[in-house]
Amino acid sequence: MHALDKKLLRDFRRLWGQSLAIALVLACGVMILLTAFGMYRALDDTLAAFYERNEFADVWAMTEKAPRPLLSEISALPGVQTAEARVQEYLMLDLPGRVKSATGLALSLPDTGALPTLNVPLLRAGRLPDPQASDEVMVNEPFAEANGFEIGDTFEALMSGQKRRLTITGTALSPEFVYAIGPGTLMPDDESFGILWMPQAMLASAFDMSGAFNSVTLSLSRGAQEDQVIEALDTLLEPYGGTGAHGRDEQASNAFVTTEIKQLKNMATILPPVFFGISAFLVNMVIGRIIALERAEIGLLKALGYTDLHIAAHYVLLAGLTAVLGVVIGWVTGGLSARWMAGEYAQYFKFPYLIFNVSYDAYAISGFLALLTAAVGALRSAMGAAALPPAVAMSPPAPPRFKRSLLDRALSALRLSQPSMMIWRSLFRWPLRAAFSAIGLSLAVAIMISVGFFSYSINSIADIAFNQSNREDIVLLFTKERSLSALEDVRALPGVMEVEGELFTPVTLRNGPLEKQLSITTRGAGATLARSINETGRVVEIDGPGLLITTRVAEVLRLAPGDPVEVEFMSGRRETYTLTVAGVTEQFFGLGAFMTREAMSHLTRSAPQISVANVTLDPKEDDAFNRAIKDTPLISGAVRVTDMKASFDATVEENISIMNGLFSVVAILITVGLTYNSARIQLSERARELASLRILGFSNWEVSYILIGEIMLIAVLAQPLGWLIGYGLGHLMAASFASDLYTIPMVLPPAAYATASVVVLGTALASVLLVRQRIDRLDLVSVMKTRE
Amino acid sequence: MPEAVFHTEKLVKTYRTGGAEVHALAGVDLDLYASELTVLLGPSGSGKSTLLNILGGLDHATSGKVMFRDLDLTVQSDRALTRFRRDHVGFVFQFYNLVPSLTARENVQMVTDIAPNPMRAEEALERVGMSDRIDHFPAELSGGQQQRVAIARAIAKRPEVLLCDEPTGALDSSTGVQVLEAIREINEDLGTTAIVITHNAAIQAMAHRVVRFQDGNIASVATNDTRIAPSEIVW
Repeated sequence: MHALDKKLLRDFRRLWGQSLAIALVLACGVMILLTAFGMYRALDDTLAAFYERNEFADVWAMTEKAPRPLLSEISALPGVQTAEARVQEYLMLDLPGRVKSATGLALSLPDTGALPTLNVPLLRAGRLPDPQASDEVMVNEPFAEANGFEIGDTFEALMSGQKRRLTITGTALSPEFVYAIGPGTLMPDDESFGILWMPQAMLASAFDMSGAFNSVTLSLSRGAQEDQVIEALDTLLEPYGGTGAHGRDEQASNAFVTTEIKQLKNMATILPPVFFGISAFLVNMVIGRIIALERAEIGLLKALGYTDLHIAAHYVLLAGLTAVLGVVIGWVTGGLSARWMAGEYAQYFKFPYLIFNVSYDAYAISGFLALLTAAVGALRSAMGAAALPPAVAMSPPAPPRFKRSLLDRALSALRLSQPSMMIWRSLFRWPLRAAFSAIGLSLAVAIMISVGFFSYSINSIADIAFNQSNREDIVLLFTKERSLSALEDVRALPGVMEVEGELFTPVTLRNGPLEKQLSITTRGAGATLARSINETGRVVEIDGPGLLITTRVAEVLRLAPGDPVEVEFMSGRRETYTLTVAGVTEQFFGLGAFMTREAMSHLTRSAPQISVANVTLDPKEDDAFNRAIKDTPLISGAVRVTDMKASFDATVEENISIMNGLFSVVAILITVGLTYNSARIQLSERARELASLRILGFSNWEVSYILIGEIMLIAVLAQPLGWLIGYGLGHLMAASFASDLYTIPMVLPPAAYATASVVVLGTALASVLLVRQRIDRLDLVSVMKTRE
Repeated sequence: MPEAVFHTEKLVKTYRTGGAEVHALAGVDLDLYASELTVLLGPSGSGKSTLLNILGGLDHATSGKVMFRDLDLTVQSDRALTRFRRDHVGFVFQFYNLVPSLTARENVQMVTDIAPNPMRAEEALERVGMSDRIDHFPAELSGGQQQRVAIARAIAKRPEVLLCDEPTGALDSSTGVQVLEAIREINEDLGTTAIVITHNAAIQAMAHRVVRFQDGNIASVATNDTRIAPSEIVW
């Protein structure tokens, strides 16, 4: 090994604290890139494999009831590769040992006894139900696991008013229900929502669907135009009550999973550059200082005949070693966390397996970026070092030129102490360095704020969704649309205190070329349980015949109050009307539009109808109520708002605290990297100065004040900038998360800013205090004797 | 007369500090001969270090001419000067300039790594009497020992010229003598041309020739008919 290489290794060992601080920041960038990339890849690959192997459909459509022979017409449509018809119904379930009801989505299996050709369930245990059986069912695995069902266990289902005892013959996972979300709910709840695969004959006879179907799925041939197929399919199904076909983009499970994948991809591209940027600055600062300290050695190397290239390479390599350390830490932690997180995701989403291919390119890219970052950071200083003429390098650098300026007069006027004066002067003499340190620290603050706002936003979402908009305890889903008199039947159930009805009608809203499929919610005027809330938290009453829309719909369709909007009904008489936007309301989940019962009734020239009943309950009568609805034929399901809120809180809070924790660690690492290195550099630059002050009679703490003061001053000055960047970054994150499934409002109370500042300032102080200890150990005599 | 290793003509070096121009060298004409030990004497700021830096290719002249044998140093690029230093010149500085993170042997190896025809680091250290401290770090060596390592580093490449800037400046008399002894031995045993800067007049007695500087110019050049051994020098 060459002597210069030994010097390199020993210097690296001597600088381990500073190197490690930089390496950790770099490692963060590498780790986040690997984790996000690895998870994204794993989910994407797993999803793609599951979809391909299990023939995930391309198009879905529902009708009220269509004759079986229509299927051959659908199969013959241009672009259709495979078409499959089935019967699909929501059932009220009565599970053993569970007082509350559950909902099942029943799907028919082919008469042949074979698996369906599309959306093929992957058998996990047991067998398919016998096609001739009238009491056999296969359920989705998560539902069985959540309820502790074994093969052979039974439960009851209410089918067209008749209670049937069903025996579980097998469990399966389906590409259609990777994210299984029940009707009217926001999050998957495997205990109360299950997928039931049943023999075609049994389901058809129970629901009067013999020789008919109400659900059709298609796969398309290569190169087929999806929208043309959808249009043709809608035309075929229209006479049979088709409610509008859709592609994978509107398939609930797929939409949730792909949204998640998209967000991971965003994370892999947005965050790492921040870390690499800060690392480059840190490397530049530290290598710059090392070079300043090693001026004489550089001069010597040149005197000995080392070339500029040799010398520049020496210092770039020193930074390179730091980068290698960062890359190794990042690779190890990133590789582990990617695998772990992907595993967590695979459980959260119901994949039968996880395809985790190590993405060598992600390793290569992250490693290359980290090395490049270090090289860029070091290069300028290293080139500068190499360019010094040797005779100049070996003589001590000229003392920094402090000149009296207007600023000094201002500072003098403040009658600051000499140590305070030293702090301010130094800040203004190296404004660029101070500015970069401040920007780095402000990014640490910003990162915390940009993630910290989620918990406040989610609280606000939950408050609006569960406390203000939906104040009912339970939503009862009717098997089909009913007249208002159904409310009286509900009122007669035990424990019911208040009842209000709502109707959900599938429509397509259009504004010029823009269109969206959604459901119009129709309510009675003055409804008090389910209400619309505007952005200021006020209840919005719909006045007259207009349509109230949510902010997301207003944004997507570019609508404002007073604008006309075309409404095509996808059920019933399928008429098209032009309505006026009456107002805009806040709703963070899904897309929504609202009308009064009177307006809807008038528009459709029919008696008012309802599809759900919102109910408040006397808690004492809870059990009686639950028992009663399991035997009520007109109800197909019950959504407990309180359960939903609890499961929402549990899922979201956990995710958010993991994310908050992770980003706090990241902010702390950035702060340590910046302040520890700054303090070490300050100390080395000012060792003589500080030692002189000690000799003049200043106490250790008076001297420490100068060191701590300057860095903390920069840290404090960085806060407002951090708040500003955090606010912007938060907006960016919220915007990147917004989709038709949910939107995230930007809620940033002062506490969010305060938390970020306290963490960053506290960390900065701790880092400086760590370096400050060295002042106590300053050997006054030797410091003064050392040649500058 | 032996051949001239260095030849300077009207050599001028000016520094600009602030608004003022300082003439460090004001037209120096000098010849330095092969295998000669020359002492450059003079007070601080008289120009001797500036001359040494220019001779060693560490600095550029403002005007005039410097020849190293047939090589005109004044017209060489930085790259060529680096080559020149690497192949022909050994330096010894007042403050030793050892790399603190390298041992005595490794400090010498810094040179043997890149020189075309070096001696072994161990041999160089043996010549300066440092064989027993070969794996010590600079911080574990006395000033005189550090300077001897610096000399070993300078001679390990078998340079044609050895340029020493105040080699005893930071040392007491007895350790200074050891260092001068080492320089004399190199000069005599290897025939290396040695140029030693000092403002310690006592050292001149060991030189073949003594050049006195004053205000950036040569005040006098004297030849010693009888030289004394460093061990006889006292200051």
